[in-house]
This record gives sequence, C-alpha cells and structure tokens, in this order.
Amino acid sequence: MSKMEAYVETGMLVVGFLLIVAGCYCLIRTYHLLKIIIGVEVAMKAVTMFVILAGFINGKIALAQAFVITVIVIEVVVAVVAVGLAINLYRIYGNMDIRNLRKLKG
Amino acid sequence: MEAVIYICLGLLFICGVLAVMLRSLLKSAIALAGASAILAIIMYLLGSVWAGIFELSVCAGLVTVIFVSAISLSNTDKQDLAKLYEDAKRMSALPAILIICGVVLILIAAKTPFMLPAAVPAAETADNFREIFWNHRQVDIWGQVIVVLTGALTVVALFKERE
Repeated sequence: MSKMEAYVETGMLVVGFLLIVAGCYCLIRTYHLLKIIIGVEVAMKAVTMFVILAGFINGKIALAQAFVITVIVIEVVVAVVAVGLAINLYRIYGNMDIRNLRKLKG
Repeated sequence: MEAVIYICLGLLFICGVLAVMLRSLLKSAIALAGASAILAIIMYLLGSVWAGIFELSVCAGLVTVIFVSAISLSNTDKQDLAKLYEDAKRMSALPAILIICGVVLILIAAKTPFMLPAAVPAAETADNFREIFWNHRQVDIWGQVIVVLTGALTVVALFKERE
C-alpha cells in the first residue's frame, strides 16, 4: 500500500469520526425533531462510509455494498417514520419540539 | 484518485457540519443532500458502484424530498423558531469541539505506529455482487422487506384521519 493511500484511509476515518461527533452533538443539543433526524442522517453517512472503507480494505467490496444497501433502506424508513411523527407533532402542538412528546398518553 | 478523494472528504465534512449547524431547515436539508451526493462519489471512487447509485437516488433524492415536504407542511415563522430553540446559541460550541477532536485524532494518527492493513485488490465483479446480494444475504432482503412494510404501516397509522 502506498503511503498516500494510507493517508487517504486515515483521512476517511478522521472525517467519519468527526461527522459522528457532529451528529451526536446535534442529537444532544437541539429540540427540533427534524433537526434531530438530520443529525442522525449525518452520523449514518459516516457509518456508511466506514462500511465501504472496510470492504475496500478487505477486498470484499461486494459484501460491503450489500450491507450498505441494507443500511440505506433502514435509514430511509427511520427518516420517513420520524418525519411522520414530526408532522403529527406539528399538527397537534403547532411546533416540532420533542419536549411535547412527554405529554403523550399511554 | 487520492486528490479527488481528499477534495470529496473535505466537501463531505463541510456539508455534514453545515447540515447540522445551519438554522434554516431547508438549507440544512439541501446540505444533507449535498453530503449524500459527495458520499456517492466517494463510494464510486472506491469501487462500490451499486451502493453509490442507491445513495445518490435514495438518500440524496428521496430523503431530501421527504424533508422538504415536511418543512413545507410546517410553515412556522423563522423568528419564532429561532426564539423557541435558540439553535444558533446551542450549536455555537460545535466548531470548537470538532477542531479539538480533529487535532487530537490527527495527533493520535501521527504519533502511534497504528497502520491500516493494506487494501486487497477486489476481484469481485457485478455478477459477484448479484450473487452475494440475492443469494448469500437473502436474510437481509427479507429483513429489508419487513422493515419497509413496518415503515409503511407506521406512516399509515400516523396519518390516519381522526374522527
């Protein structure tokens, strides 16, 4: 492996880790449900990149692609359900503040 | 190729941080779509073409449409939103945290003798991908079908008309 290639892989690890930090910080610090979903999506991008990087290093890129497609499907379903929840929250309370979820019955 | 990946990594980082930090939800959604598109380019450069196509069409396309629809359905005044969440204040520490984490990670990478293993050349073709996806990982496909059905049923339940 050339030194340049190793630097690229290390760079991908660093950027991916920083994106996970940014996504987690967004999860912790904001109350807006749509913004929270965006934070989750940003962290998921980093995870997807890590899976592809692992497949690239191991030479098993086809297996990595199969996993990534599964991750993408789950990511989309999570986003759709959370957006549906956010719209319902907006219809009932007039905003998308997750603190309103505490008032749910049940 | 390395230079292109470096540029894409930089753009991915910028788009990801902008998606988290921008106060306007619409701009955040567009930044997220940009991050997805750039990730698709990185995937293509690393040889995972099918995953790149999925990322570009589903994450950069479908998810952005869903976000924009949700934003257009909830037309709260921008100033009210800013007052309610104070996101600008809340997210102001993020750049400092990212700089500190980045410096620490680069120092760790430079100081430790840790090296990633050499990349093995992939001897896999599109046929191999089909074989793995449809035959070896069949359980994943059934799982995906169940997840999609669950999502669809949840959305139907969420949007049910109230009497």
